[in-house]
Amino acid sequence: MSNPVRHRFSQLAFHLLLVVVPTAVIGYATLHWLNLSFTALNTNVSSQALFFSAGLTFSYALYFFRARALVTLLLLAIVYYFLDQSISRLPGEFDVFYATTRFQLFSTLFLAGWLFGFLLARFSWGYIVVSALLFVVTIVTISDTTDLSYTYLLTRLVPLLLYALYLFFLTPQLNASAEWTWKKAGHLSLRLTLFVLLVLVSFLLAERLLRGQLQAVEKELAARGAQNEKDSNGQGGYDDRHGLMENTDDGLRLKDTVRVTSRMSQSDKLMFCAKLNSYEGERPIPLYFVFHYLTRYDPVKETFTRDVNVPSLDEMDVDPAEVPLYYSYTDTSILRKAMGDRYRKIVEANVYLSENTWKHSVLGPSSVFAIQTIPVEKDFQRTFLSAYKIYTYASELNNAYFVYNVSANPFLETVQEQRHDELRTVRNYGPVNKEFLEYYTRMPTGGIYDSIARLAKGLVKENARPLDKVLAVRDFFLQRDEFGKRIFRYTLKPGAVDDPNIPSSKMLYDFLFKTKAGYCTYYAGASHFMLRALGIPTRFTTGFATIDRSDKNKGWYWFYASQAHAWTQVYFPEYGWMDFDMTIGNEEQQEAPRPDGTPPLPPPEPWLVLNAVAGEVKQAQKNLDATFRELIFHNTPHKLTEPLTLNIDASLCRIVFNERDTTFAAVQAGDSIIVVSYKDEAKKVPAPRAGVAIEQQIQKFPQPLPADEIHIHRKEEKKDGAGQRITETKKRPIDWWAVARVTAVVVLVALLLVVLSPALYLGYLLVRVRLAAMPARADWIYRATLYRLHMAGIFRDNETPLRFAQQKVDPQLGLSFTAFMNIYLRMKYSAQPVEISEQESMNLFHRQVGPALRQKTGVIKSVLHYLRLWRAYLYFQQPASAESEPSAL
Amino acid sequence: MSKSTASLQALLRNMETIIRGKTQEIKYVITALLARGHILLEDNPGAGKTVLAKTLAQSISEAAAELHQPGGGVAFKRIQFTPDLLPMDLIGSHIYDEARKDFVFKKGPLFTHVLLADEINRASPKVQSALLECMAENQISVGDTTMALDKFFFTIATQNPIEMEGTYPLPAAQLDRFFMKISMGYVSEEVEFDIYTNYLSIGNVRDSVKQVLRYQDILDLQQAAENVYVHPEIVRGIVRLVSATRHHPEIALGCSTRGGITLIKCLKAWAVVNGRDFVIEDDIQALAQPVIHHRLIFRNRDAARTVLAQLTEQEVNKLAKMGIQPKR
Repeated sequence: MSNPVRHRFSQLAFHLLLVVVPTAVIGYATLHWLNLSFTALNTNVSSQALFFSAGLTFSYALYFFRARALVTLLLLAIVYYFLDQSISRLPGEFDVFYATTRFQLFSTLFLAGWLFGFLLARFSWGYIVVSALLFVVTIVTISDTTDLSYTYLLTRLVPLLLYALYLFFLTPQLNASAEWTWKKAGHLSLRLTLFVLLVLVSFLLAERLLRGQLQAVEKELAARGAQNEKDSNGQGGYDDRHGLMENTDDGLRLKDTVRVTSRMSQSDKLMFCAKLNSYEGERPIPLYFVFHYLTRYDPVKETFTRDVNVPSLDEMDVDPAEVPLYYSYTDTSILRKAMGDRYRKIVEANVYLSENTWKHSVLGPSSVFAIQTIPVEKDFQRTFLSAYKIYTYASELNNAYFVYNVSANPFLETVQEQRHDELRTVRNYGPVNKEFLEYYTRMPTGGIYDSIARLAKGLVKENARPLDKVLAVRDFFLQRDEFGKRIFRYTLKPGAVDDPNIPSSKMLYDFLFKTKAGYCTYYAGASHFMLRALGIPTRFTTGFATIDRSDKNKGWYWFYASQAHAWTQVYFPEYGWMDFDMTIGNEEQQEAPRPDGTPPLPPPEPWLVLNAVAGEVKQAQKNLDATFRELIFHNTPHKLTEPLTLNIDASLCRIVFNERDTTFAAVQAGDSIIVVSYKDEAKKVPAPRAGVAIEQQIQKFPQPLPADEIHIHRKEEKKDGAGQRITETKKRPIDWWAVARVTAVVVLVALLLVVLSPALYLGYLLVRVRLAAMPARADWIYRATLYRLHMAGIFRDNETPLRFAQQKVDPQLGLSFTAFMNIYLRMKYSAQPVEISEQESMNLFHRQVGPALRQKTGVIKSVLHYLRLWRAYLYFQQPASAESEPSAL
Repeated sequence: MSKSTASLQALLRNMETIIRGKTQEIKYVITALLARGHILLEDNPGAGKTVLAKTLAQSISEAAAELHQPGGGVAFKRIQFTPDLLPMDLIGSHIYDEARKDFVFKKGPLFTHVLLADEINRASPKVQSALLECMAENQISVGDTTMALDKFFFTIATQNPIEMEGTYPLPAAQLDRFFMKISMGYVSEEVEFDIYTNYLSIGNVRDSVKQVLRYQDILDLQQAAENVYVHPEIVRGIVRLVSATRHHPEIALGCSTRGGITLIKCLKAWAVVNGRDFVIEDDIQALAQPVIHHRLIFRNRDAARTVLAQLTEQEVNKLAKMGIQPKR
C-alpha cells in the first residue's frame, strides 16, 4: 500500500501465475495435438508454444495496466508489417519462402496468444470465450483422429474441462478483492490446487468405477469405426472372394462383417498351412479354422457383424503380431466361455502364415485359449512369414469331414450318425442362461424375415429335439426333386442382377424361394435365420474350410484363398458350439485337387530367448549389448527384478525385421529386439539348475553370448518416420453420435460427482468418525455434527459452537450437544485428560444426531438436504462476513 | 478449588439479587477483580454502578483489621471526581498532630479495598494520573515514603459519555491501564418492572447484602485464575487477533502488547468465573470487546462498531474449525 506501483506489479505477478501459466500450459497441449493433426504445422512445438505464451503474457500485462486496445493493436500491426517486409527482402541464399511461412506461423500464434491475453485480462467473461475457442480447436483435432478411444477422448477433454472449471472458480476471486497480499495469493493457490486435485481424484475414481462400461463403449466405437471402414471399401474388385475377404496392408483377411453379395471371385493364393495335432487313433481329424464369429445381424445395414457385447465370447482377443517371439499369451477364461466340456479335448496346432494373410488375428479351430509365437525355419521363410502355435479347446464331435462331402464315405456317415445320436440327447434349451439364449436367438421380424421363419417352422415338428431341427434345415437344402436332381445348387454367381443396392435380406429371400442357388454365405445366412427362428442358438462363423487332400503328411493342412468359408455354429448345452455346414457341394464343377506343399520343418529348439533392448552396437565386430528383463531359459520364462546386460555375438546371426531377413546394419541402439540362441552340439549350452536363482545362472552364460537369430521387434521411432505415418493415415469419418455419447458420459459423471459431493463429504466424515480413535474421533464427531446441522438448515452463522449448541441446537432438537461441546472443548483446550465415561457419552451423542435430525425434518427431507449444493458451499465459506472487507480506501 | 468456586457462585448469586438482569456485567466486574485488574464503566447516571460496587464490597468479609468496615464487608470508598479535586484529596496528606508534635500522614480514601471512582473524566489530568499510578503499581508515594496498598485493591471507575463539556477525556495510555471497559446499559422492561415492584423497599444495601465469602477467598480465587491453563492455540489466536488490529486499515492505533497480556489474564479469570480451569474459544468471543475495544483508535464510527467484532469472529471461527491439537 505504501508503494502502489510495486503493489500493482506484485498483483500482476499473481495474475500471471494463476491465469497465464495454466493458459500457456493448455495452449501448449493444444498446439501439441494440432501439430499431430496438421503436418503443415510440423515444426518445433516448444518454440510455437513459446511464441504463443509470449503473446499471451505481453498482452495480459499490457491490458492489465489498462493499455488502449486499439492503439496497441495498431502498433502490433505496424511491427508485423515491417517485419514481414524486411523478411521478404532478405538478401543472400536465404530460403525466403520458408522464412515467411515460419514468420506467418509464429506471428499468428503470437496474435492468438495476444487475443487470449486481451480477453482474459480485460473481460470477466473472457475465460468463457477462451475455453470455447480451445474447445473448438480440440474438437477439430479430435475429428481428425483415426483411432478414437475413450481414453484418448478423456485425455483430450478432461484437461480442457478442468481448465474451464478452474477459471470459472478463479475469476470471481480475482476480480472481487482489490487488495492482494502474498499471503492471500498463497492461500488462494493452495485452495485451487486442492480443488484441482479433488476433481482429478474424483475423475480417477469415476474412471475406475466406470471403466467396464466405458471400455464397452470404446469397443463399440472401434467396431463401428471398423464397420465404417468396411462399408467404404467393400466394393473393391479383388476383395470379394467369397464375399469374405478384403485387402489390407498386411495381406488378405476375412471381413469382420459379411453382407451377402451377388458376385465373387476366386483366388488360388496360399493363405496358410497348419499342422493340427488332432487324431482319432491313427486317423487325423481335420477341423474348420475359425476367423471370427459374426454374432449380430444389423437389420438396417443388412449385415452380419461382430459384436463385443456378446455373452460368453470364446474368441481370444490378441494380436499375434504383437506377441514377442517365443512368448505366449493365454486366456484361460476361454475354457469357461466355450460353454461346454463334454467330448472336449485340448488340441495343439502350428499355423504358418504366408505373406498373403492378415497376421493380426488368430486363426484356429474354435475356442483357442493360448498362443505362442514361433519362428519359421530358415528354408521356408520365403513361403511363410510368421508362425504361431495355438492351443484350442476343441470338441471331439466337430470334424471337418462331417460337413465336407459326407455322403461319399460310408465310414464317415456312421461316425456322423454317432455324433448326431450323441447330440440328440439334448432335449431342449431349458438349462441355458436366458440372456445367452435370448442373444443367440435374436432375429429381426417382419416382411422377409417372417417368411423365412414361417418356412423354417414348416420344416419341423413343434417339439422336435434341437438336433432334429438342425438336421431338418440341413435336409431342406439337400432335398432333391422327383428326378433325383438337387433343388439347391452351389454357384459362385448367384445374383441375376449385379446391383449392390439390392438388400441382402431380399437376396436371401430370393435364394430360399426363387433362385435356390448360392455360395457359402447364402447357405450360412439362410440357415442362421431359419435356426434362430426355431429358437436354436446359432452364430454365423467365418473362417476356412479344412480340406484333407493328401495322406503324405498326416495332420498337415493347406489353406488357399478359395477355402475362405462361412458356416453356422449351433449351440448344444454341455457340448458347446458345434459346426454345421449347410453349404452343399458343387456338383457341376469339381474343384481340381491342388497338391499340398512341403510342410515346413519344425524350428530348432532354443535354449535361450531374451526380450531385450539393444544397447551399444558394434558394426565392425558384429556384436552388441542387450539389456533385458525377461528371458526364456530352456522353455521356462523368467522375469528379472533388475535389468541385466549381456554382450551378444552376432557374427553368425540371422537378423529379421518386419518378418524379413536383413543385415546387421539394421540393428540400432534402442531397438527392442528378441535374441534367440538354439541348442547346438557345437555350443556349450548351460543346463538349467533347479533351486539356483536365475541371476546366478546368467552369470554362467558364455561371454559373449552366441546368438542365432535376432528379431527386431520394434524399431526406435524416428521423428520423420512418425510424421510420415501421420500423413499416410487414411482419414475416416467419425461417428459423432458415439463421440457425443462418450462426452455425455464423461460430463454426466462429472455432474453427478458435483451433485453428490455434499453427500459424499458427509460419508467421508462418517467414515472418519468410524475409523478414528478417541481424541481424533471427537474431532470428527464434532465436524460431522456441525456439517449435518448446517445441511439440515440449522445454521451456526457466526456463533461460537458452544453458544450455537446452547441456544439453537439443543432447544430445537432436544439433543445433548451442549454437554458434548463441554466435553469436547475440555478435550481440546484443557490440560487435564477426559475420562472414559465421558468419551462414551460422546459416542452416544454421535449415535443420537442422525435420529434426532430425521425426527425433526422427516426421513426423506433429511436426505434431500444433501442435494443443496449452495448450502454446502456456504458451509465451507464460513465465516462469510469476516472475509468481506470494507470497500473504502 | 471447589470451595472457592462455590463461594464464587455464591458471590455471583448474591450480586444478582441486588443488581437485576446484569449477569454478564457482574461477571465482567468479577473477572477484572480476579485478574487483579480494574474496570471502567461507561454509563449514564443511575444505571447501578454504585450499587454494584457497594454490593461487591459488602459481600466480602474478614478483611484486615484496620480496614474493616463497621457494618461488615471489606472497605469501600467512593470518590466523586470534580475538576477542583486535588491528588492529596485521594491519597491523603500530612497533618500536624498536636499531641505528637509532628506531622502525621492522614490516609486518603485510596486506602481501601473497593474504590468507586465516579466520573473519572471530570477530574484534572493530574488527579487522573495519580489514581492511575496507584492502580498500576498498587502503591502510593508521598514525598519520600512509599506506602503499599492492600493486596486486594479494586477500582471501579465510571465515566459519563453524555456530558462532554467540562471533562478531561482519558488519554489512550491511561485507558490502557483499565483491564476492561464495559457499559451497563439499561435492563429489559421485564426486569425493570420487577425492580419497581420488588426492590423499591431496599434502601440500604448494607442491610440486605449477605456476606458470602471471605477476604482470603478472593486472594485464593485470584491465585486460581493465575493457574488456569491456556492452550497454545488459544495464545496463537490471541496473537493473530492482536496483530490483526494493528494491521487493519480502519484502525489507527492497534492493541498494545499490554493489551494482549491483559486479555490473557482476563481470559483466565473469566474461565474461573465460568467454573473452568481452561480457556475456550467462547471466552475470546466474550472478552475481546470489553478488554480490547477501548485500547483501539478507529478511523470512523462505523468501523468502531463492527471491525473488532469481525476480527474476533474470524479468529474464533478459526479456532472452532481447528481440530484437537497436541498440548505442550
